[in-house]
Amino acid sequence: MRPDDGGLPPSPAPLRSASLVSRRRALLALALPMLLGACASVLGIRKSTSRPFEHRAHVVKGVSCKDCHGTVGTAGDEDPLHFPTDASCLRCHEKPHDPRGCSGCHGEPHTRASAEMARKHLRFEHKNHMGPVKGDCVRCHQEVAVDSPQALRPAMAICFSCHEHEAQWRVRDCDGCHVDLAAEHTPPASHLVHDGDFVREHGVRAASSRDLCMTCHSERSCASCHGVGTVPALPARLAFDDVRMSGLHRAGFRSRHSDEARANPGLCVTCHSDRSCRDCHERRGLAAGSATRNPHPRGWLTSSRGGGDHGVQARLDPVSCASCHGGAGEQLCVDCHKVGGPGGNPHGRGFTSRKDKRTDMPCRMCHGAGR
Amino acid sequence: MGKRRTRHVYLVAVALCTVTASASADPLRLRADAFAEARAPAGLLVLQGQDKIRPWIDAEAMVWTGGTGTAGSSETGAAGDVTVLTLRLREPHGYGELRAGRFVVATGAIRPVHLDGVSLLARAPWGTTVETYGGVPVVPRFGEREYESASGVRVAQGVGNTANLGVSYSQRHTKHGGTAQEELGADFAAVPVPWLDLAAKSAYDVVTPGVAEASLSSALRLGDVRAEAFAQHRSPGRLLPATSLFSVLGDFPSQSLGATVRWRAAPRLDLLGSGAMQRAADEIGMNAWLRSVLRLDDRGDGSVGLEVRRQHVSTARWTGVRTIVSQPIAGGLRYSTELELAFPDEPDGRGSVWPWGLMALAWRASGWEIAAAVEGASSPEHRYETNALARVSRVFGGTP
Repeated sequence: MRPDDGGLPPSPAPLRSASLVSRRRALLALALPMLLGACASVLGIRKSTSRPFEHRAHVVKGVSCKDCHGTVGTAGDEDPLHFPTDASCLRCHEKPHDPRGCSGCHGEPHTRASAEMARKHLRFEHKNHMGPVKGDCVRCHQEVAVDSPQALRPAMAICFSCHEHEAQWRVRDCDGCHVDLAAEHTPPASHLVHDGDFVREHGVRAASSRDLCMTCHSERSCASCHGVGTVPALPARLAFDDVRMSGLHRAGFRSRHSDEARANPGLCVTCHSDRSCRDCHERRGLAAGSATRNPHPRGWLTSSRGGGDHGVQARLDPVSCASCHGGAGEQLCVDCHKVGGPGGNPHGRGFTSRKDKRTDMPCRMCHGAGR
Repeated sequence: MGKRRTRHVYLVAVALCTVTASASADPLRLRADAFAEARAPAGLLVLQGQDKIRPWIDAEAMVWTGGTGTAGSSETGAAGDVTVLTLRLREPHGYGELRAGRFVVATGAIRPVHLDGVSLLARAPWGTTVETYGGVPVVPRFGEREYESASGVRVAQGVGNTANLGVSYSQRHTKHGGTAQEELGADFAAVPVPWLDLAAKSAYDVVTPGVAEASLSSALRLGDVRAEAFAQHRSPGRLLPATSLFSVLGDFPSQSLGATVRWRAAPRLDLLGSGAMQRAADEIGMNAWLRSVLRLDDRGDGSVGLEVRRQHVSTARWTGVRTIVSQPIAGGLRYSTELELAFPDEPDGRGSVWPWGLMALAWRASGWEIAAAVEGASSPEHRYETNALARVSRVFGGTP
């Protein structure tokens, strides 16, 4: 009790306030772990409820792999998978703690799926490997020795620890082990990770590794986008329900495509031909000469020196000009810029060409006979 | 005044025979997609197939047919095309490969060319690769041939398992013998250490001497972080066919220099960011985006995402936000939504915001996929427009 409060008991208001503060603190103390727990769960930091099979515990107890996976030593490429049955478990665990099947809780579904996928897509026989590893399964299945294994199927690097495949790698001969890589859809685990901004990156990466790409990807992988004149719709359009797909043409691209094109001069033409824009614009009645409004801003074309903005913009992004004024529309430029014409020389600084200006296209349009 | 688009929906019937499932990887894989939307093109039937008949021969096709134009108007019609029709013969040990038919050639610094032709690849055990191709560029919709020809070659040498260096030459001629494109290229890729890789390519225009295009990318992986630095150079005039009048305006290249970082911030949370400085002639601009994806379960079946983007280059200046939600419901059913808002700095009569949204419902089970969606937008062309989309797909023997 403080000396200046006259020995009176504390007033009810501060009491209420203190009690409120302590209640808030208690609530916060309760809510914070719940919130963190929820966040941890959502972010995947908290371990999932599915349980990996307790391989390590069995190894420590001295249970041999073949005690449960009995047929593995003789398993060939076509034989059934050697997953233990409930009967295998009951040989030791005579009094099961749950009447349900053991594999329902012990073991994760993705482990079985991974083994089934390996059986389907790999040429592999356990019986040929048991001898060289002297029956030591852990030599390849190293993850069984850890408490929380990520994957029980050995990584390809483990195969390479014994098998020398450099010659096959050089000639992209994967068929020795992989039945059909294109059908396998196994995401590459190392230097071929397709993350980041892969739509932009893939061109420079595929430049030197086209045949490596083709070990997994089919012809359609390229043609679905790059076969621009013939594709019915881009993959992102056909797979409209897969909103997780990223890519240049997703979402409202049609609204902003002109801005995208202006921001990346020349990008469109690395895939599209200069006719692509014109064909689409003509179909929509937006091509040069159609009844739509003039898309060019004020000052685009003037009779004063320099001719307005159109020259500068045409040099920055000639592809955009060609998208509307290409082909027969080029005559619009020739009328002014031909030799002796009022438009003057349209060539930029340092322009050189190996073409014959009198006979080759497009030079002869302006430099041809009589000009 | 807004203009509402109302279109009739064309339905495309799909009749497919069943294929007996095999216990091993099916060499024959087929996929059929029937796609319909309320606006043109009104309906599509896309057939894709691939068959690895023997280890040394496989065939692949992607063909489609569908309605074109605006439903209900006199301009409607049917169309179709072949996107891929390829036969590939392969020397059993991988030393050679022949492709014939319709395919995309993209190798080294040679930009993708869609070709009716032949490609031949030879590999030597010491790491040398020679690839050559020749043919006629594809004319869409079986249109009249322009009798252009395209050909090229690339020679590459691998250095152990860590690097690859290639040089290439490509040319394209018009029916009158004029040169539409002639380029020399160089490409390089290396993985000097497992956590670092480099890739570069450059194409040099022989007709109008100068660098047509160059790209450089280097990526670094450290645990949950992957960082990539990149640089690009493009000379738009040199990317056009040399027969175009717009290819003679001189060298005004655009260049960009930037970096992208991906960070797996938590097992289910990915953060990606990218920023680049861009230069076109004397103008400097920038392009940047941030994207986050949160998977709602360990397998990534459900996810939510948010992306923010800013583009500020020349007169192309806008800011955009995009959100996605995709979540399985039950029994193979999934719903997805996607919403994008783009805000142009200078609307210039095109509207101050361009919203776009899509809501989709999809069902997938035992080789069948059925999806339907409604889409709505307000674009520079239309104050508002709506669209309905549907797709029925059937897959045999795994996704081709």
